[in-house]
Amino acid sequence: MALTTERDSRMSSVQATKQDLPWEEKNILAGLASSFGDKAKVSYARPNRIKFLIEPSNLIELARFARDNLHFDHCTNITGTDFPKDSQIQVDYHFGSIDREGLRRIILTLSCRIPSSDPKIPSLINEFASVELHERETAEMLGVVFVGHPNLSRLLLPEDWDDIPPMLKKYRLPGRLEGE
Amino acid sequence: MSLPVGASGLSTQQVEDKLVVSIGPQHPGAGHFRFTITVDGDTIVDVLPDPGYVHRGAEKQTEYRNYIQSIPLLERSSLTDVTNIIGPFSLAAEELMGIQAPPRAQYLRMIMSENQRIISHLYWLGIQGIFLGHSTMFMWPLGDRDIFIDLGQMIGGARITYSYWIPGGVRNDMPEVFKERALKVFDYFEKRLQDYERIFFANPLFLKRAQGVGILKRQEAIALGAVGPVLRASDVKSDTRIDEPYCFYKDIDFEVPSFKDCDTYARCMVHLVEMRQSMRIIRQCLDKIPEGPVKVKLSPQQRTLPGESYARVEAARGAMAFHIISDGSTKPYRVKISVPSFRNLIVLKKLLIGSHVADMPAIYWSLDYWPVEADR
Amino acid sequence: MGEITTFEQFLVRVLKIVFWLLIILPMIILPIFYLVYVLPVEFQCGFNLLTCAVKPNWTLAIDMFNPAEMNPFVSSSFISQLGLGANSMLFKSAAFPGLTFASVLASFVIWGERKILAKMQYRVGPKYAGRLEGWLQSFADLFKLLFKEIVIPAKADLLMFIAPPFAMMALSGALLATIPIGSSTYISNSSYSLLIAIALLSFFPIVTLIAGWASNNKFSFIGAIRALYQMISYEIPLILSVLGVVILTHSLSLSVIASYQTKIWYIAPMFIGAVVFFITATAEVERIPFDIPEADSELVAGWLTEYTSMLFGVINLAVYIKLYALSAIFTLLFLGGWLGPAGVPDFVWFLIKTIIVLVIFIIPRGFFPRIRIDQLIDTGWLWLIGLAFVNVFIAFILNSTGIL
Repeated sequence: MALTTERDSRMSSVQATKQDLPWEEKNILAGLASSFGDKAKVSYARPNRIKFLIEPSNLIELARFARDNLHFDHCTNITGTDFPKDSQIQVDYHFGSIDREGLRRIILTLSCRIPSSDPKIPSLINEFASVELHERETAEMLGVVFVGHPNLSRLLLPEDWDDIPPMLKKYRLPGRLEGE
Repeated sequence: MSLPVGASGLSTQQVEDKLVVSIGPQHPGAGHFRFTITVDGDTIVDVLPDPGYVHRGAEKQTEYRNYIQSIPLLERSSLTDVTNIIGPFSLAAEELMGIQAPPRAQYLRMIMSENQRIISHLYWLGIQGIFLGHSTMFMWPLGDRDIFIDLGQMIGGARITYSYWIPGGVRNDMPEVFKERALKVFDYFEKRLQDYERIFFANPLFLKRAQGVGILKRQEAIALGAVGPVLRASDVKSDTRIDEPYCFYKDIDFEVPSFKDCDTYARCMVHLVEMRQSMRIIRQCLDKIPEGPVKVKLSPQQRTLPGESYARVEAARGAMAFHIISDGSTKPYRVKISVPSFRNLIVLKKLLIGSHVADMPAIYWSLDYWPVEADR
Repeated sequence: MGEITTFEQFLVRVLKIVFWLLIILPMIILPIFYLVYVLPVEFQCGFNLLTCAVKPNWTLAIDMFNPAEMNPFVSSSFISQLGLGANSMLFKSAAFPGLTFASVLASFVIWGERKILAKMQYRVGPKYAGRLEGWLQSFADLFKLLFKEIVIPAKADLLMFIAPPFAMMALSGALLATIPIGSSTYISNSSYSLLIAIALLSFFPIVTLIAGWASNNKFSFIGAIRALYQMISYEIPLILSVLGVVILTHSLSLSVIASYQTKIWYIAPMFIGAVVFFITATAEVERIPFDIPEADSELVAGWLTEYTSMLFGVINLAVYIKLYALSAIFTLLFLGGWLGPAGVPDFVWFLIKTIIVLVIFIIPRGFFPRIRIDQLIDTGWLWLIGLAFVNVFIAFILNSTGIL
């Protein structure tokens, strides 16, 4: 699976401005680079926001590292995005820190891409208790299966929803024409 | 007595010797939200929250709209807190567009945002009052809330949905009489807050109902990802306005409340202190606001650079964040809203288990859970 | 009541309205009947219904007024044959010191409560029914409730569901029978009237439990259980708080107790008892801060959840009559009943005092939140019973030393 697609390279070329990063960000970058090397590629790193592109198989390992060594103690958000052109679904985990005052401003993003045909990704519920509802939401909105999650049932959608997961690009809102 | 609980992933097991009660969505104490509680005697032993009754697919609908068109849509998700929910959207869009709002607009944003915080907190306070059976505390804040809505109307034009905070600045300038009027209102409201304290916050029966109820310890609050007043009541002095200052909050002198009690009482007190601090912020903003334009000229179909941005502000209920992924067209490719209510929902489950049935409304509303915002 | 499509439905609706009117009409017609026809005859025949109210010039006026001229069909013998005289049991229990009077008073209490609360909360309150400050609002509500549909849950126990409102009304009415409102204005003058009142009060939890159980609703059921807890745990301090007064007067008759207070009102020596009685009475009538069985943010409306239309109205009326009865008992026990300066009828003093007590019952709703059931029971068993015993002790000392 190609991690660096054309779009990603464009994004990183636009946003990767590495000059004058505060020392916390530099620490995070250095810590991940020394421990994981090529497993975690920097997509962009600017003040307050750092994003790494990773493989789903390394997710739990990296999340544990972020929790134990980098002191990111909770998950603020999970964004699932469908990229039908690449037949991939991108799952972005946003981690924040409350315990360390210096880290409160930083959002660390771990981004994985999984194939649309078999959207499976390990659940982080044992590492971060706060991902529970975010994972349930992503699961129903994009059909991603979080392996290991105790209860991946309907959360926001109606009980009688029998269409494809609505946040997939394939799904069109009723009444909206193609390309509108 | 037991109810078979139907779909949406709730338990279908029959619970022996326990009462399963469905609270909501047709319940005066629930709003557009349901949770099923299992009661053993007077103690809640299990909670199954079931949001989604007002899910309108705001994230999906933004894919069909350009950035400006998305704003009236998005602010419908949180009608008590409209300025703050579109704030991070506009900040994220500005970052993608590569523009920055002029300083006067930034100050106006702060004034409107803090005014909105007071409006939202007063609404919260009214409902918290009636949930505890205090009818005067229901009427007073909702009456005083109208004065702040009038203030918002002076700037924004509308009473509730102003669509004020837009990419590139704000929609319009404030009238000159605003400062005088606002100061008058604040003087009045500071006196009223003392009345509130006397009749409600210092009321012995309120203390009996709120103190030691629904304790969320510091470590639990952090691990569950609680935000906003819930987090600050759990002895964490965290506020996006301090942690990652946007607009000109760096230049403003204000305090972030935090309480060591970690209970419902602390969560109520956080709201009270925050209303005072909001007025303090607006007073300073009115003194410091510079002259100048209030918006950057944008094209109606403004294109963005391809990329992504993650912006957050401190809304009335906690950190509100938008993650926008753009492919360079006029419409966002993906918008993900991280709303404080949704993040605090997991806390509700934690707090309700083991509490009394009678404490349920007090705990539930002390989290300031707004179902419409959580469902988006 | 749904749409009318057939003649049968039309008939059913007309009959329903007639049924309710038949129940309500006596409350309206009886007083008019008595005021227009019976009272003049009574006065002429030498009965003194309101003995102290009749002044010499009044009698003069009545002498000049000949009811036989006004209505030839009504004569004094006809009325006394029917047993409808102003001192007949029917008049007393149905009209003047009894149910009609108490109902009218209760509806004004409801209006007054809404006005007082509105003033406390910077609102206007009822405004439009009646020219003056919406004083007819309760009656407007009554007629609104009359024309509403009665919804009976499919799985409710029909008889047990319908019975409680009327049982509540009957109990409240019976409670009124024990209360003398003047030295000569009373329904019955039993020497055990206080005991009877307390016995009647302890029937209410049973009715509540039946109502909650028969509704077949979980909120109703929890509410009824809470009501049962609350009333049982507050019955004991209620009875104990009364004991002090009984010790001082050596009597269980409310009229004797009231007439003993010529020297000093018992609220001064028995202050603790009065406070305990007040608190427990607030809990008995389920008012804020003790409206736990009807806690609307947790239990929708508690044991009243499934009641609609006039069934709800009857329960509400009964509760307010009970409130009036408890305030009246408070007045008789601690505030000297009808004792007061001469010159006006003695029941006027009684009513003034009772209305003041009613207002004091109403006001806490403006500034107290609801307390929790376990806190309520703790308070009842720990503090109120203890305080009531202290009160009994004080009464013993006062009585044995001969001070009172």
